[in-house]
Amino acid sequence: MSNGKPGSDIDIKRFNQVFFEECAEHLVEMERILISLSDREPDQEQMNAIFRAAHSIKGGAGIFGFDDMTVVTHVMESLLDRLRKHEIGFTASMVDVLLEAGDVIAMQLAGHREGSVVRQEAIDAVRDKLQRLVDNGPAAPPVAVVEPPDSSPCSGALIRSLGDDTATHRFELSFTPDDNIFRRGIRVESIIAELSELAQPGGFASRAELVEVPTLAEFDPENCLTRWHFTLTTPASADQVMEVFMFVADEEQLNLRELPSERLPAAAPANLPGATAAAEPSTAPGAAPPVPEPRLEGRRAYDRDETSPGAFGRRQGEAESSIRVNVTKVDQLINQVGELLITQAMLAQVASELDPVRYETLHKGLLQLARNSRDLQGSVMSIRLVPISIVFSRFPRMVRELAGRLGKSVELKTVGETTELDKGLIEKVADPLSHLVRNALDHGLETSEVRLANGKEPTGTIQLKASQVAGRIVIEVSDDGAGLNRDKILAKASEAGIPCSESMSDEEVWQLIFAAGFSTADQVTDLSGRGVGMDVVLKNVQAMGGRVQIASQAGKGACVTISLPLTLAILNGLSVAVGAEKFIIPLSAIIESLQPKPDQLKSVNGKQVVAVRGEYLPILRLHELFNIETEVTDPRQGILVLVDLGGEKTALLVDALLDEQQVVVKSIETNYRRVAGSAGATILGDGRVALILDVAELFEMAKKAQPEPGPAKEAA
Amino acid sequence: MTMQGALKSSEQHRTRGAEFLTFTLAEETYGIDILRVQEIRGYDAVTRIANTPDFIKGVVNLRGVIVPIVDLRLKFKVGQATYHEFTVVIIINVADKVVGMVVDGVSDVVALSEEQIKPAPEFGSALDTRYLTGLGTVNDDMLILIDIEKLIASDEMQLMDRIAEA
Repeated sequence: MSNGKPGSDIDIKRFNQVFFEECAEHLVEMERILISLSDREPDQEQMNAIFRAAHSIKGGAGIFGFDDMTVVTHVMESLLDRLRKHEIGFTASMVDVLLEAGDVIAMQLAGHREGSVVRQEAIDAVRDKLQRLVDNGPAAPPVAVVEPPDSSPCSGALIRSLGDDTATHRFELSFTPDDNIFRRGIRVESIIAELSELAQPGGFASRAELVEVPTLAEFDPENCLTRWHFTLTTPASADQVMEVFMFVADEEQLNLRELPSERLPAAAPANLPGATAAAEPSTAPGAAPPVPEPRLEGRRAYDRDETSPGAFGRRQGEAESSIRVNVTKVDQLINQVGELLITQAMLAQVASELDPVRYETLHKGLLQLARNSRDLQGSVMSIRLVPISIVFSRFPRMVRELAGRLGKSVELKTVGETTELDKGLIEKVADPLSHLVRNALDHGLETSEVRLANGKEPTGTIQLKASQVAGRIVIEVSDDGAGLNRDKILAKASEAGIPCSESMSDEEVWQLIFAAGFSTADQVTDLSGRGVGMDVVLKNVQAMGGRVQIASQAGKGACVTISLPLTLAILNGLSVAVGAEKFIIPLSAIIESLQPKPDQLKSVNGKQVVAVRGEYLPILRLHELFNIETEVTDPRQGILVLVDLGGEKTALLVDALLDEQQVVVKSIETNYRRVAGSAGATILGDGRVALILDVAELFEMAKKAQPEPGPAKEAA
Repeated sequence: MTMQGALKSSEQHRTRGAEFLTFTLAEETYGIDILRVQEIRGYDAVTRIANTPDFIKGVVNLRGVIVPIVDLRLKFKVGQATYHEFTVVIIINVADKVVGMVVDGVSDVVALSEEQIKPAPEFGSALDTRYLTGLGTVNDDMLILIDIEKLIASDEMQLMDRIAEA
């Protein structure tokens, strides 16, 4: 199988990327299935899916010359194959070994991809474990031995009927590779060799033709200008023939046509490419005399047995419905659509000054443009959004393993897995979340005995919950364990030299665990307790522009809430004027806007507050916070925008409300630094930049500024 | 440039010389590596950012990218910080950031060979010598060469988050 000879380094790298990504996907899929089994025996479909993943990795690794990766996958495949054929029975320990094998493959993959360390002893260990299972696996339960030929449609029965079905499909296959095929390091000879192996002796013919003949000046020997036509008579199915081209060619480059069979003209219906060949053997009458299946070198016998639809190679259906696109391309698209929106806003602004009667068609056209560009933006934005289930799906395994090691009984619940979040954030949020889940398991949840003694269910629960709240993504990690221990935290904090006092409020005490070097675990385990957990969580989340909150109740459990901004999402905002500047306030934070009457304004400790329906809300003067000169300094002359900061409310004093609009959130940090009180910036219709306000942070700034206005500037 | 001149400048490249964009701040002429310069544009539509030093004028929209603008005249307290239609902003690309610098004027692009570059003096210019790579001489005029990357990334410019350095 190993036949790819690398071309130049650069070419092979570009080419390898596809394999790496597919391989990673297969590993994830395999792990997902293994975890979902939770020690039950896999059904046929799951078995095939795991097998398929292992097989695809092995096949790919072979083609791309990563021979080391085929070592483990090969044994894994053997084990799975024996299981599949019910030659050996299934045991729960196999899941663990298979998971371990998956990790080893992932390690090897990382080794090739990023040059990270590959531990050979781990590879050898897992291979030996697998091999032992292959050799000495428990005997299959007797039922299974009898069963397969009759009841399982995609293994035994088909294997036999394929063997019986003599014959032989005749395929005509044309292969028009792209120009780059040679540069990708693919050798056509080996493909041809593999095809000819599939064919019956003497049943293979190939013909090559030039697609076009370039002039000598344009001739590039590295371009592939050849098209191949193959005719083969083979017992293999169309899928198996197509599989030869896996990793080599896209389906549109192949045209597979089944010719009427010479021996069984009536029995073989025309088989179009993509149509599953699986139905074929079972419908064909098994009347023809059996022909021994030719043994193929280099390919396992069972490679050919697999005829169930989509069992091998490219995932049918799915493969056609998605394409792989480089993220930078998507980002470029998003930027360009952003520019389009700005231009559209600019046109709208210009047109608003034109007489609506005289320029009726122009106005209509612009309205249409506005609608279309908004739709376009929505679609483009959604490309980058991925469901958070991608992150959540890694936790069942982690929880299972940790719970096993800690001897705790834990149930993991996930809620809101479909909540979508930017792909960039998804990658970054995974680490903090695993820290939190690990903490909840290690520190939060009690052992079953303690739980029973406290009158709780013996099995603890950890819940991961994602939702979209007020323009932010909120992810909660909660457990029903013992909760945070106030006294212990205070004791540890003073021990670690972190400033604290008994008089601190609970919230302030919980904040202490974010300090660097803090750990309350009684023992330092390899799970947690090294004191690098929570401060890293906080740093990572803050780097994404997020916030972390902790709620805890002794004996009832704790809940850590991470709230992240939707960096790329379209933000519905209200543009407001303060002096000569414009700001955007996220609409999701706004409760209402009002012009206060004199009797609504009160003074508390010299600070002005506004009374709204029995509530006294502090007034944040934006012109003060941002040092802007404006004539509107009295709330009675301006407008108060009431905003909700997740429970707390406050009023922002602005000069005037301008417009409600959708804005593209742009990062200021790309070329500059974080600006306190802003959640990014956007570009207005006139091409100017406007800051998007982070209301919660403004409130914090104002609080800090209260004792003396000086430090706020420092903090900024 | 004559044929001979062109040849000469390409030779200079080979002898590790470089081309510099020269600009003026008050009476002094400075030079920065031309390869760092992205474009030169006018000064307009700058959005002020609160609680920043006065030399950070704010941010502008550069074709959809938000770019901070620094006034080097204010930073180094030279010349008159006036803004009009002839005010020039040099957009540079350093340390993965795009930054605009307001200067008094952009003069020329000159090629300097290594022999034409002398070590920087200990003092004598508005800029701290830490950010100078040397002095160039072109037709008896002195050119102060700046390590623009070092200058922009420095703490005193306050253009980068300190967290990023930690």
